[in-house]
Amino acid sequence: MAEIQSFTMNFGPQHPAAHGVLRLILEMEGEVIQKADPHVGLLHRGTEKLAESKPYNQSIGYMDRLDYVSMMCNEHGYVLALEKLLGIKAPVRAQYIRVMFDEITRVLNHLMWLGAHGLDIGAMTVFLYCFREREDLMDCYEAVSGTRMHATYYRPGGVFRDLPETMPKYQASKWRSQKDVDRLNEIRSGSLLDFIDAFCTKFPGCVDQYETLLTDNRIWKQRTVNIAVVSPERALNLGFSGPMLRGSGVEWDLRKKQPYEVYDRMDFDIPVGVNGDCYDRYLVRVEEMRQSNRIIKQCVDWLRHNPGPVVLDDHKIVAPSRIEMKDDMESLIHHFKLFTEGYCVPAGEAYAAIEHPKGEFGVYVVSDGANKPYRVKVRAPGFSHLASMSEMVEGHMLADVVAVIGTQDIVFGEIDR
Amino acid sequence: MSKLRSYIRTFTLWELWQGLGVTFVNFFKPPVTLNYPEEKAPQSPRFRGLHALRRYPNGEERCIACKLCEAVCPALAITIESDVGEDGTRRTTRYDIDLFKCIYCGFCEEACPVDAIVETRIHEYHMEAPGENIMTKDKLLAIGDKYDAMISADKAADAKYR
Amino acid sequence: MSNDLVKIEVDGKEVEAKKGQMVIEVTDRIGAYIPRFCYHEKLSIAANCRMCLVEVEKAPKPLPACATPVMEGMKVFTRSPAAIAAQKATMEFLLINHPLDCPICDQGGECELQDLALGYGRDISRYNERKRVVKDKDIGPLVSTDMTRCIHCTRCVRFGEEVTGLQELGTTERGENMKIGTYIEKSLDHELSANIIDLCPVGALNNKPYRYSARAWEMAQRATVSPHDCVGSNMYAHVLRGRVKRIVPRENESINETWLSDRDRFSYEGIYSADRLLTPRLKLDGEWQDISWDDALQKLASVLKAVAGEKVGVLASPGSTVEEFHLLSRLADHIGTTNLDHRIRQRDFSDQVNDPLQPWLGCSIEDVEKAGAILIVGSNVRKEAPIIAHRLRKASLSGSNVNVVNHAEYDYYFSLDQHIHGAGLVEQLAGIAVAAAGNNLPVSVANICDGVRPTAAQTAIAKSLSDAESALVVTGLIAARHKASSVVRALSAVIADATGAKFGSLSESANSAGAHLAGLLPHRGRGGALRKNVGLSAAEIPGAKLDALLLFGIEPDVDLSGSGNPVDELEAQKFVAAFTPFASESLLRSADLMLPIGTFAETSGTFINCESRWQSFSGVANPVGEARPGWKVLRVLGNLIGADGFDYATSEEIRDEFAAALGEIAPDNRYSGTRSLSLLDDVDSAAEQQDVPMYQVDSVVRRARALQLTPEAKRAAGNVS
Repeated sequence: MAEIQSFTMNFGPQHPAAHGVLRLILEMEGEVIQKADPHVGLLHRGTEKLAESKPYNQSIGYMDRLDYVSMMCNEHGYVLALEKLLGIKAPVRAQYIRVMFDEITRVLNHLMWLGAHGLDIGAMTVFLYCFREREDLMDCYEAVSGTRMHATYYRPGGVFRDLPETMPKYQASKWRSQKDVDRLNEIRSGSLLDFIDAFCTKFPGCVDQYETLLTDNRIWKQRTVNIAVVSPERALNLGFSGPMLRGSGVEWDLRKKQPYEVYDRMDFDIPVGVNGDCYDRYLVRVEEMRQSNRIIKQCVDWLRHNPGPVVLDDHKIVAPSRIEMKDDMESLIHHFKLFTEGYCVPAGEAYAAIEHPKGEFGVYVVSDGANKPYRVKVRAPGFSHLASMSEMVEGHMLADVVAVIGTQDIVFGEIDR
Repeated sequence: MSKLRSYIRTFTLWELWQGLGVTFVNFFKPPVTLNYPEEKAPQSPRFRGLHALRRYPNGEERCIACKLCEAVCPALAITIESDVGEDGTRRTTRYDIDLFKCIYCGFCEEACPVDAIVETRIHEYHMEAPGENIMTKDKLLAIGDKYDAMISADKAADAKYR
Repeated sequence: MSNDLVKIEVDGKEVEAKKGQMVIEVTDRIGAYIPRFCYHEKLSIAANCRMCLVEVEKAPKPLPACATPVMEGMKVFTRSPAAIAAQKATMEFLLINHPLDCPICDQGGECELQDLALGYGRDISRYNERKRVVKDKDIGPLVSTDMTRCIHCTRCVRFGEEVTGLQELGTTERGENMKIGTYIEKSLDHELSANIIDLCPVGALNNKPYRYSARAWEMAQRATVSPHDCVGSNMYAHVLRGRVKRIVPRENESINETWLSDRDRFSYEGIYSADRLLTPRLKLDGEWQDISWDDALQKLASVLKAVAGEKVGVLASPGSTVEEFHLLSRLADHIGTTNLDHRIRQRDFSDQVNDPLQPWLGCSIEDVEKAGAILIVGSNVRKEAPIIAHRLRKASLSGSNVNVVNHAEYDYYFSLDQHIHGAGLVEQLAGIAVAAAGNNLPVSVANICDGVRPTAAQTAIAKSLSDAESALVVTGLIAARHKASSVVRALSAVIADATGAKFGSLSESANSAGAHLAGLLPHRGRGGALRKNVGLSAAEIPGAKLDALLLFGIEPDVDLSGSGNPVDELEAQKFVAAFTPFASESLLRSADLMLPIGTFAETSGTFINCESRWQSFSGVANPVGEARPGWKVLRVLGNLIGADGFDYATSEEIRDEFAAALGEIAPDNRYSGTRSLSLLDDVDSAAEQQDVPMYQVDSVVRRARALQLTPEAKRAAGNVS
């Protein structure tokens, strides 16, 4: 028999399982991987540098586009850093809205991850169910911000607009009877909060469905159990955060350990894994969806009973309302200056981190007192996860690379920035 | 006992049948898909789609060339040139939005002091030739004229939140 | 002296201040900003906006920092709660009547009211009542008014009173009804009046030609130098997408302070006039045809190579850059001609060997205002060099004796000791010379002064010049264009010499000094070296029988003042190549080849001003059409005709080469002519004098639309020379 030679293989960047533009150079010994060398930068857009040339608020929209499956969470990190520098705090209602949408975003992210992860390693069906629920959450995004993905909804000092009191509805057509439309519109009859409430009620059942399809499935387990095991020590040393760290059994969650906004008022649990393999990380993320659902529910209940301002009343930072702007000199001047020059942030530096669906997402802003940041640095959780690629796939089969990419929940928007 | 049950489940493909059960149940549920484009998903009045320039009811252009939208545009997608208009007022002589550059953040609409530039709920548009991505003033005004009723209704619905 | 200093405390920091200084001057010096509207460094203190209120210890109420002199041990708090409350309240009052104009106001984005409202005001108004409305005024084509926006800081009023001396704006009525205006509707008519645009802290007075065309934040600010007079005012061009949108002053205490003349500010409109030459053009059988740069330069090179060197003439505008002059003079050297000149308006070349190496003011611009006695000879100085006139006014206000000898009466808006006008310059100067020098007249002017009896006024001038500690005699452009300018110059020099005064002159356009040094003269080469064979002067070149003539930046009908009709004369020439930004009528008639070159805004270069200051600038705007900077065109032409060393990459290289070739040359105005001068009949009469109207001096200004609408331009249109 001829001896099998070690050879180098190129994985991506056009591979459908490469989650965007990952390029891996794999050194193979037959089917077994010796080393994986991830190449980054193919989606580099210079967001950090770009932010240096724009007034603070104008970069919010670019934060959405970092991790483009958990949009509002990225905004949250940036906005929190600015608030820290400015020394302001959003009104409580805005904080609840932010927490609620962070959790909606977490569910959105995990649904995307679950669907794609399943698809990557052979489970077609779950993708369709995940996207069914994602559609409802996208509607929530659209209802508050006007876009289904890149929201630009969080602002230093609160959020742009309050939650709408009505939801858009389906229209009857020759393709759909009135009865059908009425059924579809049933959960849309009330406000956005009613819509989210109804979603929260039905969502645990949906998670049950995903679990029925996957958790005990022998193929799923064969593809994930004991794949890419990371010990708690290694996970810490590799700079893991979020579900990657908790999957290895380290109980670390910024929402509990360094509560921001109103997370300290929320009742939820942190799931942790035992073995630190792909299967555990799967279980952790699925459980996180259930916990997020609990948080969303609590926020909905609070928001229903506590109307109030959703943004600060300080027009040196937050643009005045349109009515004020149109008949009030001071407001017009502030409107004009805020939209042309923006506000000046006191000199200093601030780091704000949030528990992003993928881990610790931090934004470090240095201000020199001008209306533009001197430097913005984004700490993307995916970057340190990707850095451990080689260690995680070493000794595994080629097919397991796909499972590892899936379990790392990589999105290149934030890694390449 | 549990070992026995586990063996039975393994050999009867129990969890696979369970999964098929989920599929089976959903088989009888009404579909969640839509017959797009004949049928459309509901859209929020806040939707940020294609831009339009609006007029006052008397037909006068709203835009006064203050250039706030141009200044606030993070993507530098808006280009305005202005001059003294025929009636001596401040007017644009050029108002271009490059749809390839635009990131649909809605800041232009937020910035506009006279509600001239708006983002409409129109999202089904396309370009066929190079250069069509530039929305000129005429094109934007034409959209504003054509969909005036819809735009007014959307803006009225959202007015109290802004 | 230490007892002139007092110690005060600003926000807890101890600061030393001069006695009599206002608090705001001290805080400005240490960088503690106090908001202000009415206070301006260059104007008197009015203390009527009340924005600069600060808290002073032991004072019962907040005090205005601009009108509170420092006192020993004074404790000033600029950001204490009381000061902030006072500033906030003032701002609220100022905004009560301010219209909601920001979106349509040109000041938006660079408005002091906006900035201070943001920094020191409330963020929402408590005032719901009706706002005051004030009717707009029409104060001419340069300054637009929106008087409802006025906050009555009276900077513009004080500017008229204190800086120009012509009080054009004033206040009428009082309290809420107070208005700024001209009272009787009229146009602003002072050559510095547009500076009120910069002074106005709000959008009440704004730049009219620039109106609504751009925003402050979108323009690039690029430094440049004024090309229209010998002062070389520093200015910024504000450029949007490669086009100059407006010009604003660039502060330079030793030249233009913070001011800029209207001519410098608004001439940029000429750059974009409709008759810009967009491509090179060649006249073939009497028809103009657009040709490529390649063909055009090849054509010119072949003509220049074919003709005899001494049959080539070069005429350049004195507003060209040093680099262009240097290349032109090198080209002429290579071709072998000495028929080159830039003194296009001079009419007397008889004594040119005794002209100074370069025209010079005799002292720095700053020193003009320090002279104890000044004699201005033959100059409409306000129009010729508005900034020099402003310095003269400052001198006069501080007690100097300012005297004028002119052929006609001009308004000065400052007090003159002796104002002689109506008679010939030579006649008057001869009288002063006799009064100053008595019988010690040098041989050059002895003949002219023979038998002259000085009048009382002439004697007074001579006396004040010799009595003053530092005196200055300055000849102007009317003197330079005098048909016996050599006599005027000699007499003025004699007066200066006899009275111990410094002697200087104003010169045409921005760069006469550069042209002199570069050797753009028929009798002198680079650095002033005398030529062996003296060529034809500017007056002779158009009518001479030449084989090829290069016109650089010249419009023959209005720029040349030869004896005949220059356009006809040029038409009769064999081959005329015009380097010109504009396709003017006269060139279309007289030239055979036109090459588009950039105006001052489109080329980099250096101007040497009347105080011999070298000021380099870079191109600020994109060239119009296919126009190219003059030095680049000359560089290629030099290579095409086979001249050595024409491979310059930048204009700085040319400048450095020129500067190195010059070495150290100190300006020197001493007159050492020993030839006895005489005077032809009639050349001294007032009718023979030539005063080029202010807005006709060069091709760019002539095309500046707004400037041509001013009363000044309209008055001149009646008697354009």
